[in-house]
Amino acid sequence: MKVNILQWHAVASWTWDAQDETCGICRMAFDGCCPDCKLPGDDCPLIWGACNHAFHLHCILKWVNSQTSQAHCPMCRREWQFKG
Amino acid sequence: MADSISSVCNLAILDKLSDGSIEEILESYNGFCAATDTLLNGAGDLSVGPQFVSHVHGLCKHGLESLLRDHFLGALERTFEKNGALKFWRHFEAYDDVSVEEEVFYNALEEISLEKQYQEKCLLILVHALQSYNHGSHDSNDYRVELFAKYQMSVSSVLMATLPRHFPEILHWYFKGRLEELSTIMGGDFPHDDDDDDDDKDDMDLDDKCKASYRSGQMEIDECYPQGRFLDNNKLVNNIGKVVRDLRSLGFTSMTEDAYASAIFLFLKAKVHDLAGDDYRISVLESIKGWIQAVPLQFLHALLAYLGDSVSYDSVSSGLKSPLASCPSTFYPGIDTPSEGLVRWQLRLEYFAYETLQDLRITKLFEIIVDYPDSSPAIEDLKQCLEYTGQHSKLVESFISALRYRLLTAGASTNDILHQYVSTIKALRTIDPAGVFLEAVGEPIRDYLRGRKDTIKCIVTMLTDGTGGNPNVSGNTGDSLLEELNRDEENQENAGLDDDFHTDDKQAWINASRWEPDPVEADPLKGSRNRRKVDILGMIVGIIGSKDQLVNEYRVMLAEKLLNKSDYDIDTEIRTLELLKIHFGESSMQKCEIMLNDLIDSKRTNGNIKATITQTSQAGSELGDNGVSMDVFDATIISSNFWPQIQDESLNVPGPVDQLLSDYSKRFNEIKTPRKLLWKKSLGTVKLELQFEDRAVQFVVAPVHAAIIMQFQDQTSWTSKNLAAAIGVPTDILNRRINFWISKGILAESIGADSEDHVFTLMEGMVDSGKNGGTNGSIEDLIVADEEGESSVASVEDQLRKEMTVYEKFILGMLTNFGSMALDRIHNTLKMFCIADPPYDKTLQQLQSFLTGLVSEEKLELRDGMYFLKK
Repeated sequence: MKVNILQWHAVASWTWDAQDETCGICRMAFDGCCPDCKLPGDDCPLIWGACNHAFHLHCILKWVNSQTSQAHCPMCRREWQFKG
Repeated sequence: MADSISSVCNLAILDKLSDGSIEEILESYNGFCAATDTLLNGAGDLSVGPQFVSHVHGLCKHGLESLLRDHFLGALERTFEKNGALKFWRHFEAYDDVSVEEEVFYNALEEISLEKQYQEKCLLILVHALQSYNHGSHDSNDYRVELFAKYQMSVSSVLMATLPRHFPEILHWYFKGRLEELSTIMGGDFPHDDDDDDDDKDDMDLDDKCKASYRSGQMEIDECYPQGRFLDNNKLVNNIGKVVRDLRSLGFTSMTEDAYASAIFLFLKAKVHDLAGDDYRISVLESIKGWIQAVPLQFLHALLAYLGDSVSYDSVSSGLKSPLASCPSTFYPGIDTPSEGLVRWQLRLEYFAYETLQDLRITKLFEIIVDYPDSSPAIEDLKQCLEYTGQHSKLVESFISALRYRLLTAGASTNDILHQYVSTIKALRTIDPAGVFLEAVGEPIRDYLRGRKDTIKCIVTMLTDGTGGNPNVSGNTGDSLLEELNRDEENQENAGLDDDFHTDDKQAWINASRWEPDPVEADPLKGSRNRRKVDILGMIVGIIGSKDQLVNEYRVMLAEKLLNKSDYDIDTEIRTLELLKIHFGESSMQKCEIMLNDLIDSKRTNGNIKATITQTSQAGSELGDNGVSMDVFDATIISSNFWPQIQDESLNVPGPVDQLLSDYSKRFNEIKTPRKLLWKKSLGTVKLELQFEDRAVQFVVAPVHAAIIMQFQDQTSWTSKNLAAAIGVPTDILNRRINFWISKGILAESIGADSEDHVFTLMEGMVDSGKNGGTNGSIEDLIVADEEGESSVASVEDQLRKEMTVYEKFILGMLTNFGSMALDRIHNTLKMFCIADPPYDKTLQQLQSFLTGLVSEEKLELRDGMYFLKK
């Protein structure tokens, strides 16, 4: 007997490969989305800082824009720089 | 004698009486008595008249007028009792039951009427005598009126005093018989009358004309039925009229009316039952009304017209008429206009017909609602009846008890109950747009459904598609609810338009003037009319209590459905979701929307990955001989946070597939950096073809089935332990899953050396003739493997149980410390102490069902509402 596979439809879930579970700013799951977004994934991406802390892009942008002087990472207080 | 005189005369007069006058009085009195006797018993001989008159004059001279009147009336009464009443009743003695022959009845009436007429003649002689004595001093009519009234009174009292018990029934029976006779004549379907064909035809024309005139809303009774038609043509009505007249003159006015009224009503009732029957697809109200016009009203009309001719009797009997009698004296109609009495009769009859039909329909309301869309004419009828009678509460009570008895039982399936509930809502919405009674009727159904576990599931199935889930359910059920979703959408759009266009004062005024108070039966606690807008979906959701639960259940079902899709075709799901969003609001459907979005994204990503992967690794992944290439591979990529909890079982997929998976996820990682894929290997669908030497069979199965069967390519026999290890699933799950292939006849199971360890062998080439009788050659079977009802998505209850197991240790510890605790206390303690991750956020009901689970697992014991540790 020989088995011919005509179609294999698999199921997977995606995940951001962040070390933490939740965004330090909005406390929402990384695999979810920030409070302003409706759809997770491409529409609400994650961004890593030079300090290797990850946040929702929208969250950290809001934070950075609200700072008058140089913004710091909310987690480690190091100067915030987007990881190249 | 003196004594008797003294009783009527003043004693002073007595002193003045001389012997001579006493002599004269005695002589006159004796003469008077004798003459009275001869007169009354003389069998029509009035020859003693002059003598009688002279005696009367003689007595009157001595002021004994009242004495002689009393004596004469007394004698009349005695004679009537002897000659009239006793003989009259004797006619009926022979009949034990009520079925007196018509002839006997007529004869008896004739006889007693003759007797009475004779006595009246005698009375008239007395009246004349008194008049001639007192000529001029009295108004001559005074005597007449007074004496006849007294006579009439004594006649009826004699008859009433000797009335046999069954006489009213005899009357009733008589009228009933005549009505039936009349009905056959009127109905024209049994023309036993001597009338020729023209007359029958005439009947029909009249009926039609009458119906037509009814529809135009006028009461042209007399126009329809020319006066005198019965009087001229129909002996029957004349007979009846005569009987009624005779009976009235005997003082049976009210009894007679009772009798013919009740006969008419009973007859009408029988007719309504006959017409209404058990067919709910036609409206019967109009034909009942037509029939009332055609038969009983005609009968009454003729009867009243007949009686109206004999005015002289009315004046006699009117004094005796009970104020409660149904026919007031204005009843006798003028010849040309519909009399007030007849109109009143018509109203009475119609009310009675409405009530009868209403009662009939109410008792059958359950059946009517069962075949609702077909039975809407019956519902319309009932609505009209109820508008007329206003007995809605009767409907509510009777329907609720029918529901309890017939629907809300353990034997009824939840789907049926829901279906009936929807039909009930629709039907009662017709009867009562304000929804007051619906509220009362719906309450028990809702209460009952809340107690059923699968209610939510059934509702969601009905909402999304009717045919899915339970094949026993008629497709109607679900369609109707989905329709309702659609309808609701239209309504909301219309409402939106209305708001835009008519916010001006004029519209406000129109709205205000259209306001109507709630019916009196409305429960003031339940809010005003506006809030009670009848909305099927709203009422359905009301069963569950909150829309969140419904949405949750829908999500689970949607997940199940989406995960089993192998193409990315989700058009129907999108449509349903859009409709649900309109009804439940966008935010509550957010997660479902993300799920659908995942599917759309997956389709795009899948195409993208496959396009680029074949370019880059074409040479390296030439997997031709394994038969698994990227071309046949697809994946659904989900945002797991927004999906219901998914039961992921470990599984080692076959090597080539595993290779594909890792290639795929590598490519995904490249495209969507830094996102990664986590495979849920046990989920998905596989379409495969088993190629035997002589045939090929196709299946659509779960990955675990594919993994199992692919192991048999190289090795045709496996023990369950080895096979389980090879595909990486626990043995018990393997044993369950492998049943699929055994049932298809592809594998065979036998007990191996170790009784725990089964041996599975591939049935090469010998299957076709055995189990699948007709499958010869390469017939392609396409079978969905999900037959065991194993769902990949955890049901809501399973999820709850999983979440609750965290607290099991807490609860057991608590009970060790405290010995026994009530449900409330456990709940409160958990709330107080379990604030860390995960915080305790369950409801009392959820806790209770969990504890019940623990009791059934024999970990706990429940006594008098307290939980103990099981020793």
